[in-house]
Amino acid sequence: MPRLTIDEREVTVPAGTSVLEAAEQLGVVVPHFCYHRALGAVGACRLCAVEVLEGPQRGLKMACLVEAQDGMRISTTAPAAVAMRRAVVEYLMLNHPHDCPVCDEGGECQLQDMTVAAGHGVRRYRGKKRTYPNQDLGPFISQEMNRCIQCYRCVRTYRDYCGGEDFGVLGSRQRVSFGRFQPGRLESPYSGNLVDVCPTGVFTDRTARFRARIWDMQSAPSVCPHCSLGCATWPWARHRELLRVSGRENPRTNGFFLCDRGRFGGGYANRPDRPRVPRVDGLEVGWPEALEAVRERLTRLTRTHGPGAVALLTSGRASLEAAWALRLLGLSLQGAPAVYEPHPRRDRAAREVVAGLGDLGRDMQDVRQSDCVLIAGLDPEGEAPMLAVAARQAVRRGARAALWDPRPVRLPFPARRIGRPPGPLLEALARADGAPPAGLDAGQAESFAELRAALVGAARPVLVGGVDLLGPRGVRLLLAAARALSAPGRACGVALALPGPGSFGGALLAPEGPDFDQVLSGIEAGRVRALLCLEADPLREHPAPARVAEALSRLEQLIVLDHLPTATAARAQACLPTTVTAEMDGAFVNHAGRLLGFSRVYAPGLPIQVTGGGRHPPREFRPDTPGELPLPGWAVVAALAGEPMDLGALRLALAQADPRFGGLPGLDPAGPGVQLALAPSQALAPALPEEAEPAAPAGGLWLLAVEALFGSEPLSARAAALAGLAGEDRLGLHPADATRLGLAEGAPARLRAAPGEATLRVHLEPGLAPGFARVARRLGGPLEAFAPGGGPIPCLIERGGA
Amino acid sequence: MSHPQVLFARRRPGETVFLEGYLAGGGYRALGAAVGKQEPAALRALVLDSGLRGRGGAGFPTGQKWSFFPVDAPGPKYLVCNCDEMEPGTYKDRELLEADPHLLIEGMALAAYALGVQRGYVFVRYDYDEVFRILERACAEARAQGFLGERILGADFRFELHVHGSAGRYILGEETSLLNGLEGVRPNPRLRPPFPAQRGLFGRPTTVQNVETLCNLPGIVERGAAWFRGLALTPGEAGTKLFGLSGHLNRTACFELPMGIALREVVEVHGGGVRAGRRFKACLPGGASTPYLTAAHLDLSMDFGALERVGSRLGTAGVTVFDDRTCMLAATLNLISFFARESCGWCTPCRDGLPFVCYLLERIERGQAGPEDLEILKAQPAFIHQSFCALAQGAMGPLEGLLTHFEQELHDHIARGGCPFGGA
Repeated sequence: MPRLTIDEREVTVPAGTSVLEAAEQLGVVVPHFCYHRALGAVGACRLCAVEVLEGPQRGLKMACLVEAQDGMRISTTAPAAVAMRRAVVEYLMLNHPHDCPVCDEGGECQLQDMTVAAGHGVRRYRGKKRTYPNQDLGPFISQEMNRCIQCYRCVRTYRDYCGGEDFGVLGSRQRVSFGRFQPGRLESPYSGNLVDVCPTGVFTDRTARFRARIWDMQSAPSVCPHCSLGCATWPWARHRELLRVSGRENPRTNGFFLCDRGRFGGGYANRPDRPRVPRVDGLEVGWPEALEAVRERLTRLTRTHGPGAVALLTSGRASLEAAWALRLLGLSLQGAPAVYEPHPRRDRAAREVVAGLGDLGRDMQDVRQSDCVLIAGLDPEGEAPMLAVAARQAVRRGARAALWDPRPVRLPFPARRIGRPPGPLLEALARADGAPPAGLDAGQAESFAELRAALVGAARPVLVGGVDLLGPRGVRLLLAAARALSAPGRACGVALALPGPGSFGGALLAPEGPDFDQVLSGIEAGRVRALLCLEADPLREHPAPARVAEALSRLEQLIVLDHLPTATAARAQACLPTTVTAEMDGAFVNHAGRLLGFSRVYAPGLPIQVTGGGRHPPREFRPDTPGELPLPGWAVVAALAGEPMDLGALRLALAQADPRFGGLPGLDPAGPGVQLALAPSQALAPALPEEAEPAAPAGGLWLLAVEALFGSEPLSARAAALAGLAGEDRLGLHPADATRLGLAEGAPARLRAAPGEATLRVHLEPGLAPGFARVARRLGGPLEAFAPGGGPIPCLIERGGA
Repeated sequence: MSHPQVLFARRRPGETVFLEGYLAGGGYRALGAAVGKQEPAALRALVLDSGLRGRGGAGFPTGQKWSFFPVDAPGPKYLVCNCDEMEPGTYKDRELLEADPHLLIEGMALAAYALGVQRGYVFVRYDYDEVFRILERACAEARAQGFLGERILGADFRFELHVHGSAGRYILGEETSLLNGLEGVRPNPRLRPPFPAQRGLFGRPTTVQNVETLCNLPGIVERGAAWFRGLALTPGEAGTKLFGLSGHLNRTACFELPMGIALREVVEVHGGGVRAGRRFKACLPGGASTPYLTAAHLDLSMDFGALERVGSRLGTAGVTVFDDRTCMLAATLNLISFFARESCGWCTPCRDGLPFVCYLLERIERGQAGPEDLEILKAQPAFIHQSFCALAQGAMGPLEGLLTHFEQELHDHIARGGCPFGGA
């Protein structure tokens, strides 16, 4: 641990720390541009000059490149260092357009800060400024190249860190520019990170362009609600409108960066058609009447027809506290069953994860530091986008990577692929003899053997998967493989993506109990007369929507608590509006069992964009805020359960009832979260019975209905910024199957399967396993009935259709 | 006055010596004497003892550089010949290779043997298409004759040599940029450490040497270190040096002259004196990045040590002479414009600092500047010396020479409101 002196103050830092980082520990910010904690030091901007007074090499040095050493004496204020920093900023400002008044970066611009910090106050260059043409980079990012100071952070983020390939450095000398070879939408699903890393206004958030200065916006530490990873975010809101989202630092989850779904998918919060007022029997009512009416109906039905007359349903969208309040509500209704996921297969798979993960769980930091990563049955882009970026960091450090999946999964790094269903491969992986499963070709068998050997030899191996394709049986196989590959002192870790941000917490609270199919049977048998859905949309999330629709019509009471205008909410007798993540305090348990708190960013209300037609201030004066009524889901459910609407009380009660949640009452939303203490992973019952999967019909294929990056996930699918980006719904077929069926690229085909029928254009996907068809379910599209999470289902495909 | 010819011994005007002529002139004898007969370590000691210093501009002692090379490291290691000769006023490597390409091949084979390297690259400047063709042909000849390839001269020594044509930028002469260029990625310089000897081409130990440096190896191996040191006229220096003359001289050609030869002899005898009877005003002693010498330096011996002592550098010994009617400000502006144009754009002092210097020089040249602009100009070298690689530091050579020797010209420009030489 070197001990050095910076500006006459001593500091001790770990070996390998740079002088710039050591100074930061003392609170001394050495001005810099190209250095970034996630991207490292490259020595390009030459701004962080300091003077080494004592050390191996004295004189003016770049603080980011000098390693702190014992006995060093550093001055950040030496005249030569100050003059150098002023000169560098003068150089950088030679061509800068000085267009701060119309630049969205204004107020959060590192160039503004560093110009002041470096003391460059008077312009001495009177020559012509260099100018660039800008490129249209698509709907997310605005480019204004004239503002560029060539710190190279954008390429280092887009290409090096996130693995994008369609963006880079162009030109040389003073005409270096950063962009695409041709204008066009950035292809990487992580393109929005350009906004966060650009120290000036070259890359700004196009979806929020010219809307607000940073000091006019509200923000608070939050957690991304668009998948189960729990990436740390800063949502930014103004005039009751969620304007944009930027990445927040959490070393255990996302590090710094976000995917484009998480960053640009927040618009669902601003929709004018969002439930904002409690409604009972078609009438708008106040909260006291609404709560009283719902409570009265639920208790009356329970009293009249017994404990099973009311069923409760939530989904992975609900916060942990709401899920806990739902359980309290069940208890207050004499033990009404509470189901935590509308899709029974997803439900059982999530419960398998929670029961078996134990101490094998690995978070994204572990994945980044792994030396061997197997991705089995996960398409990160649809199910957990940042998990792919985490795995990329492992690969960049030399980790081996493999992918076992029947789908042509797009990954931002090279991986050895076996294009087959992962189940039999995982089963073989768990066997001690190491023999590959039957049916592999020679290349696949070699790839299997190579990876198995690598996993056995690796120091920090991780098996990554997703519950949607794996299902409960696949999850159990993956966990068994991880246990089999673990040795004392060297565990093989597991990272499994779940359906939603609250899925892990919900499954923890409901290790047993019925799934939604059992509730549906109860409704069909007339036992269940009322269903309360908390932020759940069984009509779109259950694999048999027709059956759900039929069951819902038999109910005496359908109560929906939601902030989305869902199909289920449209049929409810009572609909109570809840808040979105950014409008409330709460917590999620992420895919790795980490408790992550989030804070309220802003109070709910109809955006002024909606009420005032974009004008400000509003011309209509009233004592209340339009649309202010939504309450946090946990508050509404607690009130229905007769509990106080008090988050602290709910959290304390949960922590007392279940010691695994001991970290909840003191949870700091700005911190890295608290890992739940899960019991060590133990072998569960030998194997689940085979899932009841009927054989594929003669001449038919196995259909995979999956989530796409955009358009599938229920929140972001309703965000205006992402509208139209999902593209056309297409039927992915292996070319061999397409030929057999007489179908060519773009040809119309009729798809028939249990959830429904649809006519789609064929898209040939050579990376797809033969015998499989793939569709990405987009909400509002022709495939709406094909809820993801069902695993492979039999289907028939024919030529023709409209 | 004739001097011993070592590198140019076989050179004939307008001709290229290929294998037959090279062998007839004693070629590949050094390789035959070394491979399988001398220990590589002995060869490295010989080169250290010879006092050979790099001829690419920096003048780093070759033997010392080799002593850092992990000769015994397992796995691939590379030898790269830097033939990206793009320094303005420098053309000696082209002259050498167009005359005698096998000298380089033999030199590289010797270096590869000494360093335990099995693969080499010659990185040839974009514009040197003739050199490229000559080298390709010479390599094919050497391969056919068993001087390259497997079991060279029957010994347990394998060396494969590839000729690579550059895509063409000055920055590729910087050795780490060159390695990036060879790898096919954007040729920004690399951070050092790690040095190429540790992690060079494709992440493997690599040594990069100039053409002329490598061409000196056959002579050293054949005739010994003492002979090589004895070629120089000044103590502590070694060998001959190729001087490429240009500028306001009567004869602008490339000559092989002893290290330590007086600048006066170079200019007046070999260069035939300043053209049109004018007087010598200044010269760049070794390419565009070396600070000017003036008439006061004419009796200086042209070697590494003597030039360093007067604040300049021998560089590539591409001597560019300026006569007494030259505006040194305009000459400097011309040179720095070249460096600004050739900046790769990686670091701020080079990318933006050099154009700022050009801007200031232009203002002074056009008579638009005041004394305060001169003060701003004088402050710039200290900042630009903090650049990432040596390109911008080299660009400060002529500016510092200008400020040291010709500051009065700058004042004259400012006082007259224009160029006293009638320029601009």
